[in-house]
Amino acid sequence: MRALVSRRGAGGGVRPYSTTLAAAPVPDPRPLGSGNADDTGLAGSPRPRRAARLVVVGAVVVAVSVVASVGQVWAQKGDAQAGKSVYEKKCALCHGDKGDGKGPAADLLEPRPRDFTTGVYKIRTTVGKVPTDQDLFDVITRGMPGTFMPAWDVLAEKDRWSLVAYLKTFAAEKLKEAPKKQELPKEVAPSAESIKRGKEMFEAIECHKCHGADGRADGPSRPELKDDWGHPIRPANLTKRWTFRGGASRGDIAMRLANGVLGTPMPSFIDSVEKPEDIWHLANFIASLGPESPNYATLLSARAVGAEIPDDPNAEFWTRIAPQNVPLVGQVIIDPRNFNPAIDLVALRAAWNEREIAFHLAWDDPTQSVADPAKKTYADAVSVQFPRALVTGPERPYFLMGDASDAVYLLRWENGKGVVEADANGPTKLAPIAGGMATANAVYANGQYRLVLKRPLASKDAARLAFRPGVFTPVAFQAWDGGAGEAGTRMSLTSWYYLRLEEPQSNRRFVVPPVVAVLTLVAMLLVGRVANRRG
Amino acid sequence: MRRALGGFLALALVAGAAAYVHRPAPAGAQGGGTIEATVTYNGAAQVETLKVNKDTEQCGTEAKIEKVVVGANKGLANAVVSVAGMKGAPTGKKATVDQHGCKFVPHVTAMTPGEVELKNSDGILHNIHTYSTANPSINKAQPKFKKVMSEKFEKPEIIKLTCDVHSWMLGWIAVMPHPFFGVTEGSGVAKIENVPAGKHTLEVWHETLGKQTKEVEVKPGQVAKVSIEMKK
Ligand SMILES: [Cu+2]
Repeated sequence: MRALVSRRGAGGGVRPYSTTLAAAPVPDPRPLGSGNADDTGLAGSPRPRRAARLVVVGAVVVAVSVVASVGQVWAQKGDAQAGKSVYEKKCALCHGDKGDGKGPAADLLEPRPRDFTTGVYKIRTTVGKVPTDQDLFDVITRGMPGTFMPAWDVLAEKDRWSLVAYLKTFAAEKLKEAPKKQELPKEVAPSAESIKRGKEMFEAIECHKCHGADGRADGPSRPELKDDWGHPIRPANLTKRWTFRGGASRGDIAMRLANGVLGTPMPSFIDSVEKPEDIWHLANFIASLGPESPNYATLLSARAVGAEIPDDPNAEFWTRIAPQNVPLVGQVIIDPRNFNPAIDLVALRAAWNEREIAFHLAWDDPTQSVADPAKKTYADAVSVQFPRALVTGPERPYFLMGDASDAVYLLRWENGKGVVEADANGPTKLAPIAGGMATANAVYANGQYRLVLKRPLASKDAARLAFRPGVFTPVAFQAWDGGAGEAGTRMSLTSWYYLRLEEPQSNRRFVVPPVVAVLTLVAMLLVGRVANRRG
Repeated sequence: MRRALGGFLALALVAGAAAYVHRPAPAGAQGGGTIEATVTYNGAAQVETLKVNKDTEQCGTEAKIEKVVVGANKGLANAVVSVAGMKGAPTGKKATVDQHGCKFVPHVTAMTPGEVELKNSDGILHNIHTYSTANPSINKAQPKFKKVMSEKFEKPEIIKLTCDVHSWMLGWIAVMPHPFFGVTEGSGVAKIENVPAGKHTLEVWHETLGKQTKEVEVKPGQVAKVSIEMKK
C-alpha cells in the first residue's frame, strides 16, 4: 500500500466540479498546477516534442537496421525475433504466450488485456483498422492510462520497436494493409469562443448519451455499452483526462474524436460534425472539463474560518476552498476483493471554526443507488476514518478499518440513511457509537455526489476523536459504488493521510512551511513502512 | 372535352408506366422464370422486450428485439432467399436503410456490392457500428443533423448492424455476389425474377434460424413456387 503515498508535492487546485461552479468569480487560492489557462498553454506541446524525438530515433533505428524497402511505411523498425524474447519476459503474463490476451494473470484484470490476434488496437492515428508502428510504439511507451497496462518507457527504445514488430506477427494477415493516416483539420487554439462552440457541438452530437451531461461517464446508455467482443465497457469520464486510454492532450482527444476507439462503442466523428474544425472545438471543450493531471494532495488541510460553515454542499463557500484530490484504489487484501474499483478519487475540502469541523467530499458515481437485492445493488457510501484518539508518534491503527486490537473511528455516510459514527475493528466489524453527534447533507447531480459531513470539534466522551488545531491528524477514506455492486470489503480506499487543521489568523495556509513538509514526508514514509509490515 | 382528353392522357401515362414497371423484364426473353419462395417456421415468434430509458419520444417506452418474426400461415419474415452459385453484375441500385423509431428499417436489407444509403429520420444520435470480416468494419456516429450517410460494401457477406446508443437496435445487410435474391416479407414470401431456366439450389439465411437449402426447377416464363420450412 505504500504506493498510495504520492511523492509529488502538495497542492494543486483540481476542479472536479462542473464548469459552472469552477467558474465562480473567486480567485483560486492555490493556483499551483491548476486551472485551464495552465493546461491549455501546455497542451499539445509535449506530444509533438516526443513525436519529433521518436521520429529521430525511428530514423536512426531504420538506418541502422537492414530494412531497406524504400517508401514502405509499414516497414519493420524492430526485429520480431528479438521482440519475442522481450515479449515473453514482460508481456506474456497478461497477454499470453500466443498473444491472445489469455495470460495467467488475465482473469484478474479488468479491462482485460488486449488479444493481439484480433489485430484490433483501440488507439490509432489512422483511418480504418491498421495502426502505424508509431501508434503501437506509443501505446507501449506510455501505457494505457486507467488500465493495468503500464508505461514501458523503462525498456530500451530498441526493445520497444522489436516488440512492435513481434506484436504484428500475431495478426499478420489482418494487418497486412498499409496504414492510412487520419488527417485532422487545421488545429484551432483553445479560446473562450472555441470552448463555447465545442460545448454546442457536444450537445448537438449528443456525447452525453454515454459520457453524461457534465462528462462524468453517467449517460443513459452507459449500462448498455459492450465492446466488440460483448464485454461490458465503461465510457470515459471526460473530467478525468489523465485516465484517457490514448492520452490527455488536445491532439490526442481530437484524434480519438476523429477516428473513434476501435473495438469499442466510441464511433468516429470526422464526417459527423457540422464543420471539420468542430473536432478541435470539441477537443478544446473536453479539455476544459478537467485538468490534465489530478495533482494528488499529499498533506490535507482544513481551513480555519471565523464564520458559520454552510451545510449545503453547493454553497458558494465551498468553491472558495481548493479541492484536495485523494486517489483511491481497490481493496485487494481481504476477500472478497475489488480489482476493478468504481471510485478512484475523492476531492476533499475541509473547514473548521471554534465549534465544529466540516468535511466536503465530492466524488463521481454514475448512478445514485440504494440497496436493492433484486438488482444486486447496494447503497452508495463513503467513510472518513480517524484513529479513536490522537497519539504522538507514527503508530496508528491498521489502515484497513482497524483490526482486533486497535479500532478506528469512522464517519460513515450511506445514501438514503445518512451519517453514523462508528468504531471499526476491521471492514466487517462496525459498531455504531451511541449518541451520534455528526450530521450530513448530500446532493447528487450529473454523476457526482457532494457531501458535507459535520461534527463538533470537541468530543463529549472518550469514544470519539477530539479534533485539535495544528495537529497532524491521521485520516483515511473509503468509498463504495453500490450501483456497481460494491459493499463490505468490495470497496475502494486510501492508506493513512494527514489532516492538519490550520491555525486561525494564519495566512500561512498558502504555503506549507518546507520544514513541516519534509518532516511529514519522513513520518509518512516511516508509517508507510509500518503499514506495509502490518499488511 | 379538353378535360376528358387530359384525363385520358393521364390515364394512359399511368397505365404505360405501370406496364413498364410490371413488364416481366428483358431477361424473360432469354428464357428466364420467376421463383416464388415461401419460407415458413413452425415455431413461435421470438421477441425480447426492453424498457427504454432515453429518447422515448422517438423510440417509445419499450423496445423490441425481434429475433424471429412469424406471420400468417407460419410465414417467416426477414429471411434472405438466394439462388446458389449464380453470377451477375451488381444491380447498381442503391440500397437504403433508415434508422426510424430506433430500429433499422428494413430489418434485413439485401443488395449487390455497392453503395448503401444510411438514413437517420429519427433526428437523434445513432451510430452505425458494423460487424464484418470481408468488408472493413465501421463505427460512425450519425448525429441528428446528419440525415444521410453513404457507405460502400464491396465484398459479398452478411453484415451485422448495431447502434451502441440504443443497444437493442439490430439490423442486417446481406451483400450478395449476384442479383438473384429476395427478402421475405411478413407473409414469408420472397420473389426472385429473371432466373435463368434450369435446376437451381435455393439458399435461405435467417439471423436466428440459420441456413437451409432446397432444390428448385425454373421454367421459362413461369413461376416456380417452392416452400421451405426452417428448422428449429
Ligand atoms: Cu441508435
